[in-house]
Amino acid sequence: MRIVVCHPQVPFARGGAEILADNLVEELRRRDHEAELVTVPFKWYPPKNVVTQSLVWRMLDLEDVQGGPVDLLIATKFPSYVVRHPNKIVWLVHQFRQAYDLDRTVLGEFGEEPFDRAARRAVHRVDQATLSEARRLFAISGNVADRLESSLGLKAEVLRPPPQRLDYRCDEYGDFVLSVGRLDRAKRVDLLLEAAAADDGLRVVVVGEGPDRERLEGLARELHLDGRVSFTGRLGDEALADHYARCLAVFYAPVDEDFGFVPYEAFLSEKPVVTTRDAGGPLEVVEDRRTGVVSEPTPGGVAEALSWLAANPDQARAQGRLGKAEAERLTWDATIERLLGA
Amino acid sequence: MKVAYFSPLPPEPSGVADYSAHLLPALERRIEVKVARRGAHRSPRRCDLALYHVGNNADAHGWIVEALRRRPGLVVLHDVVLHHLVAEMTIGQGDNDGYLEAMQVEGGVVGRLLAHGVIDGLLPPFWAERPEDFPLTMAVVGPATGIIVHSQYALDRLRQLGFERRIWRIPMPAWPVSAPEPPPAGEKLVIGCFGHMNTAKRVPQLLEAFAALRRGLPEARLVLAGSASPALEVEGTIARLSLEEAVTRRGYLDEPELWRLIGEADIIVNLRSPTMGETSGMVVRALSLGKPLVVSDVGWFAELPDEVAAKVPVDEREVERLKGVLARLAGDSALRAKMSAAAAGFARTEHDLERVADLYLAAIEEAAGTDDVEHAVLHDVARAAAETGMGPDAAELGEVAARLREAGLGRGRSRAS
Repeated sequence: MRIVVCHPQVPFARGGAEILADNLVEELRRRDHEAELVTVPFKWYPPKNVVTQSLVWRMLDLEDVQGGPVDLLIATKFPSYVVRHPNKIVWLVHQFRQAYDLDRTVLGEFGEEPFDRAARRAVHRVDQATLSEARRLFAISGNVADRLESSLGLKAEVLRPPPQRLDYRCDEYGDFVLSVGRLDRAKRVDLLLEAAAADDGLRVVVVGEGPDRERLEGLARELHLDGRVSFTGRLGDEALADHYARCLAVFYAPVDEDFGFVPYEAFLSEKPVVTTRDAGGPLEVVEDRRTGVVSEPTPGGVAEALSWLAANPDQARAQGRLGKAEAERLTWDATIERLLGA
Repeated sequence: MKVAYFSPLPPEPSGVADYSAHLLPALERRIEVKVARRGAHRSPRRCDLALYHVGNNADAHGWIVEALRRRPGLVVLHDVVLHHLVAEMTIGQGDNDGYLEAMQVEGGVVGRLLAHGVIDGLLPPFWAERPEDFPLTMAVVGPATGIIVHSQYALDRLRQLGFERRIWRIPMPAWPVSAPEPPPAGEKLVIGCFGHMNTAKRVPQLLEAFAALRRGLPEARLVLAGSASPALEVEGTIARLSLEEAVTRRGYLDEPELWRLIGEADIIVNLRSPTMGETSGMVVRALSLGKPLVVSDVGWFAELPDEVAAKVPVDEREVERLKGVLARLAGDSALRAKMSAAAAGFARTEHDLERVADLYLAAIEEAAGTDDVEHAVLHDVARAAAETGMGPDAAELGEVAARLREAGLGRGRSRAS
């Protein structure tokens, strides 16, 4: 089958959504499909651009390429699903959340002027028109599906994506807590740093890049965490697998995250995950006191959870192993069968 | 954002006044609202958008129409036919030329000649006989930048009348009341009919059907409450049909008494024809209380779900069918209970006040800024086209417009709730 996977590209940024799109193409190719990733750069400011750039996707003609038909188009996140195709499936990573649940928060994008308010409403109309025309809607998590239904009244089937292929293993339950992910405010790495300040026995390794890195490094200095916190930047596959293999536990507590691959990657490394009650998607994966700890979203709560795991390595090991069993049930074979069987 | 809000308000005896009193607190929780002083022809200062409630009554809405003419804005249209309003604002004020002009705009030379006939007393007034033939709606809503209506019927009629700008369909909000316990089984069946009575409310037809019902169900009672047009001769009809003992006749009711009496009824009847495209506040009150409804199969009333309302066509068999529907409902308490639950559920979902206020906010935000957003987007497209050598008439730009419309952008769409 000739399959096009559509995904917007934010130059110089890479996160879970990009990994998902790449993995999907790779896994489709492994199964002898002719798969190709189509990307268009996306810049979401000023607000007018959000609308204009969604129109760019609409102008693309992907019904056939190189003289042959495209049998299936799988779109992922805003605005890639604005594209038109007679056999369009959306595997929704997320809508443009700044126009929905993040509006009027510190993470919002639209101001109070009539232009901004109307631009936000235009995003709703674009979503309504172009998501409802899809032949089938999947969402990467219950959280994403719930947001879609509550905002636009559209129902999506939950289809959780498997994590990236890495040399997952467990070497030890070491003396550091690992944080993996893009460094922006929504990922809330500062909560982990403040937890480390509350418990001087905690060591932290932060893996990832992003616009919040400088602020976080400054915060670490302010909190006098020198020597107990290290920022590695983005790591290659081998080094990332190695960090997963050696850590005590993995911290992952963004604000109302869509899904997050990190918990499954931690589980495949037999590591428990510490998250918070307001983390969104991770709460569909991490079960409190069974495959990790779900704490209050406070430095004290996170510190208490991590300290408990440090003091109870047998529990950390048991939780990690249960998590691994969960993660291994999520396979690309089953995922692609559902997508293509749609 | 700040909205200037033009509407009649209590204690004015107007359905739109009640509507605004109900809606305003929920709207004010979402956006800054400046309520215009009654009679003001100018918008309060520094408002981003003016919102005008327009109904078919010059006493309540004449000043609002004047304000709309001075500053275009978003209109909430409570009646699609506005002939009464225009006639009162023109002929009623001694402005015969205004009426002639409105009729000419709507009906061309024929319209103007007919208007002359009305003014000279050679023809019966259209506002009394056939207002729907000359709705005169466009003469009022011409300056509207967009219109909010309450029904698909009203939306479709506006399109037929030639309104090409944005239209939003937003249901009338239900009242947040809890349904009272249904009357105990074995009690006398009570049918209720509430609201001002004019010829369109089809009270004679209801009384005829009720008289027929009583022949098989002598204990049935009818509560008929509301002010009545004298020409209707309600009391005379009641006497002619010997229904004095069975009909409780009440005049205009204050809200607590109105709610009490609706609550005590087993079935609510609300007939209408001709319809001016209006929504009935009495029907929405009955839905709020989970009452089985009997309505005419016209306009907005026809859009009510079948599980909620029995619909009676307006034709030569209307009385016979109405009697049949009432007899069936009277004899089937399980059916009444089912309709009651459906009505309360419908009021909680479709007519939920918070949902309605959210839809208002969306309409207000879209009305205030969408033109500018679309101009900005089109400017980007036009600039890109010009930079690549395409002129404004290039055929390729037609495809851009088509893609815009597909994506929910572009002019003149309707937005259904």
